[in-house]
Amino acid sequence: MDMSYDADLNFVFAHTPRVSFGVNVVGDLGNWLSDMGHSRAVVVTDKFLAEKTDMLERVKKSLGGRFAGAFTDVIPDPTAESIDQGAAYAKEQSADVLVSLGGGSAIDSAKGMSVVLTEGGKILDHEGYHALTRPQTPHVAIPTTAGTGSEMTMVTVIKDPARGQKTFIGSYFLHPDLAVLDPSLTVGLPPKLTAATGMDAMSHAIESLLSNLRNPFSDAYSLEAIRIISKSLKRCLDKPDDLQARGQMLIAAAIAGSAFSNAMVVLNHALAHTVGAKFHIHHGTANAMFLPHTMRFFTDVSADRLALVAGALGLDTKGVDDEQAALQAADRIEQFNKEIGLNDRLSDYGVTEEDLPAIADMALTDGSIIYSPKPVFDLDQIASVARKAL
Amino acid sequence: MPIDFPSEEWTTAYQEALNTSESYKEAGKNWTHGPIALVVKAEPSIGVEQDTAFILDLHQGVCRKAWISDLEEANKQPFVITGSYAQWKQVMRKELDPIKGMMQGKLRLKGNLPIIVRFVKAAQELVEATARVDTHFLDE
Repeated sequence: MDMSYDADLNFVFAHTPRVSFGVNVVGDLGNWLSDMGHSRAVVVTDKFLAEKTDMLERVKKSLGGRFAGAFTDVIPDPTAESIDQGAAYAKEQSADVLVSLGGGSAIDSAKGMSVVLTEGGKILDHEGYHALTRPQTPHVAIPTTAGTGSEMTMVTVIKDPARGQKTFIGSYFLHPDLAVLDPSLTVGLPPKLTAATGMDAMSHAIESLLSNLRNPFSDAYSLEAIRIISKSLKRCLDKPDDLQARGQMLIAAAIAGSAFSNAMVVLNHALAHTVGAKFHIHHGTANAMFLPHTMRFFTDVSADRLALVAGALGLDTKGVDDEQAALQAADRIEQFNKEIGLNDRLSDYGVTEEDLPAIADMALTDGSIIYSPKPVFDLDQIASVARKAL
Repeated sequence: MPIDFPSEEWTTAYQEALNTSESYKEAGKNWTHGPIALVVKAEPSIGVEQDTAFILDLHQGVCRKAWISDLEEANKQPFVITGSYAQWKQVMRKELDPIKGMMQGKLRLKGNLPIIVRFVKAAQELVEATARVDTHFLDE
């Protein structure tokens, strides 16, 4: 099995921040900031992490005299208003660096705040893609989940309730300057969340491999992420304090994040975004539900890539053709979901056959869908994929 | 006779090309999100002395107005897409997909990306219509 690239291959691959990995490396944060020349750090996190865990205290201890304050009002799916409030707080504290601590919402909030701190105005004044023309306020990202990969991406997603929509700001200047991957920060993640965020990372890896914007760099990252997740996610569930497995998952999520930051995601994420918005299904859980069906849907055009997924999943595909290997990979993902306890179906969340046309219609308008390896413009086609997860 | 790009004359010809395109009419029929400004960065070596914008007032599959503007007026529009002369030429020759160009930072978008990508077919038709204008590129 091999995967070739067209003669007109043309891509940009943005390399990602410095990464500091290791158990308890959060303790090195102060030294890092000293090396980077920063003296006033505002930590961006949520109330739960600030009040119910020792994580904020660990970060504060590491920052020492560089700790300038903590904005603890990060909300899930950050709104423009919450980001503007965070930026105002950081400005009051004369922050010269932001340290995000949490999942994708904290990291995305800090990205948005860094823009407002540098450019002024409000966050929605700056919506766009590659519209920023200079470095933004420095940002150190410390993920406490292994899934979103936001610590490696150049995008922040912002909810704008006034317009009833989400918007994006994307720029090479939004990559965090440093990602601190400390497995000791993820051991307390509950099993269901560990599984769901892990499958979000798996979806990033597989979808970026399928995307029209894939390239040799993103492919290499994706395949390695798939290999690691297939070996490590179950171990995290069997033994939550297995620091080696937790560390592997942090690495996999980060490199899958780097892959999809460059190659984007496809139909699977379009569906997951849709059912997340309409039925409040956790993003990772939704991705897991759809993933095997999305893989089967694209087998006719992407069998070679999915055969590589089969290999990365550790399947023995000797003697079978790419299409058979691709289907084996999809079957394996379905089985894997069961093994990690993600047996959810759309019907568990009240979704019925009657909802499918609306789900298809909304997914069709999701930006992710346009990178799919074959054109997906037909509502019936999209509904047919969603139906399999009912 | 080929028309210089960018110029007022080219903009008028492009508006005509768009408004006679049935496929654009169909692809853009749900566009109600306002004008799009396309900015060509200054390239003095070929005679583009300053950043030049042309604004397309697009609405439900029709280009109601198209005109050359200065940067100040362009930046007031809900969507502003900026690129170098060479990059716009690549787009018009279908060597650079505009959405892919935005993702890669070859074109800069100010405005709501999800709205733009929802209209990927309309974007393709906007590019198709440029082929129907007999264009003279200033660097040729």
